[in-house]
Amino acid sequence: MLPPIVDDIEQAKAHIREHGLALLAGQISSAQLERARVATYAAAEDDRRLGREADKFGLDYGDLNVRVWNILNRDPVFREMVQLPVVLELLREVIGWPALLGNISANIAEPGGEGGVLHPDQLFVPKPWPSEPQGMNFAWLLDDFTADNGATEVVPQSHLAADDVNPAILADKAVSVIAPAGTLMVFESRIWHRTGRNLSSQSRAALFGWYTKPIYRPQENWFLSLDDAVVDEASDALLTLLGYKTQGLGLVYGRSPR
Amino acid sequence: MFTEAHKASLQESGYCLIEDVIQPAETADVRRRLVEAAAESERRGIPTFVAGLDPNPSNVRIFNLLDLDPIFIELITHPVALELARHLLTDDFIISNFTANIAMPGSASMVTHSDLAAVLPEPWHSPWSLNVIWCLDDVTGENGGTLFLPGSHRVERLQDLPPDMAERMVPFEARAGSIVAMDGRLWHTSGANRTQDQERALLFGYYSRSFIRPQWNFNVGLSEETKAGLSPQLRQWLGLGLTSNMSPLDDLTRSS
Repeated sequence: MLPPIVDDIEQAKAHIREHGLALLAGQISSAQLERARVATYAAAEDDRRLGREADKFGLDYGDLNVRVWNILNRDPVFREMVQLPVVLELLREVIGWPALLGNISANIAEPGGEGGVLHPDQLFVPKPWPSEPQGMNFAWLLDDFTADNGATEVVPQSHLAADDVNPAILADKAVSVIAPAGTLMVFESRIWHRTGRNLSSQSRAALFGWYTKPIYRPQENWFLSLDDAVVDEASDALLTLLGYKTQGLGLVYGRSPR
Repeated sequence: MFTEAHKASLQESGYCLIEDVIQPAETADVRRRLVEAAAESERRGIPTFVAGLDPNPSNVRIFNLLDLDPIFIELITHPVALELARHLLTDDFIISNFTANIAMPGSASMVTHSDLAAVLPEPWHSPWSLNVIWCLDDVTGENGGTLFLPGSHRVERLQDLPPDMAERMVPFEARAGSIVAMDGRLWHTSGANRTQDQERALLFGYYSRSFIRPQWNFNVGLSEETKAGLSPQLRQWLGLGLTSNMSPLDDLTRSS
């Protein structure tokens, strides 16, 4: 069963411990939500128009799940959202600080979208897994998630499943996250989830930010992809998340790159 | 050159010694170029003493070797080093760091550690990293041979470390031109150089599985000139491409 949508961070922390996930309302303004939504669809349209659609993503079935990459370069609102106080507080609570942003993309499930492969995000951590989660996924719903428009499906409490659990058994317990636009869906890295099938006539968009403990290698190379202006204007928290402010690993000549 | 006996030693003791990997003339050449690289590094304003790592400045550390002289690109991709990496880490390995340490007389030990335990949560159940140590001088227990605990690569959790670890540490001894390879789980520390007049130079080629963040940020550390000369394979091993750490995803989707 899914935990209820709450607007209290302490309740969200308890839900993450018990269910492996939490649904939070009221964490971004309606202006931020609208801006992020418009920027996401505009970025997807830019990619189409310029013929730079990304290669098919390994976890998607079919061609109707549109992934928009390099999202931090696209609009300042995305840089705001990845480091909101609620994000930093939940990161500290669940995986600690400093943390790294491993990748971030917008996912638009278009009508007819066939959904995705059920998976936990910390796949690259060799098994047996450590006793604590090694990462977290922060998903911002940019459209309402409904029963038939490709809402993310999650398996509550699958963070407690055995390492060698049979995915087919978990798949029977997957439930759609039905929630309004603006909801923040947070799940820890052992929670099994997938993109749902979009049987409706409307697209639905969401922003997925994947964060890890600082020992794991980010999946996107920010040093290659980020515009200089984005890095120049970044806060200390964002520079830390992107690996420009480092301790121990990722140093250059014993110093942090920024 | 990398024989079944070496593989058995790695498996049983967590390390192996491979002798005469490079010949004396080449070893001397690398040694000379390392000293030049240290001077170049100082010219670039990079100190060779790291206070958090070593107790005193007699341990000279030289970073970013790959940017300082092409000879180090040859060594990090030396066939024997790559064979070791593939054997212990599978084909899914990356180059995490390449540094040098010249122990001058009077240099002291750092803190005992395993390279993996220093950064990854337990259990440490598989070889996820490898140190390929190039000996540029004859290395002895007296002049700062690395101290290690044989078999400690089997320690999966902190609580399993033997209480008398300090007394059971042994130094490796090797002639110049040898490689000493160490499993990333092996507990070790730099030895103290107790001689009056011997310098002991070692190069540390550090390789890891691709899910582990590299120790060194090659995107920032390598000059554009150095990057331009790298092969596509080397660029991938150094993490200069657009994405990384994606291989398990391929495994999952293949099986479903």
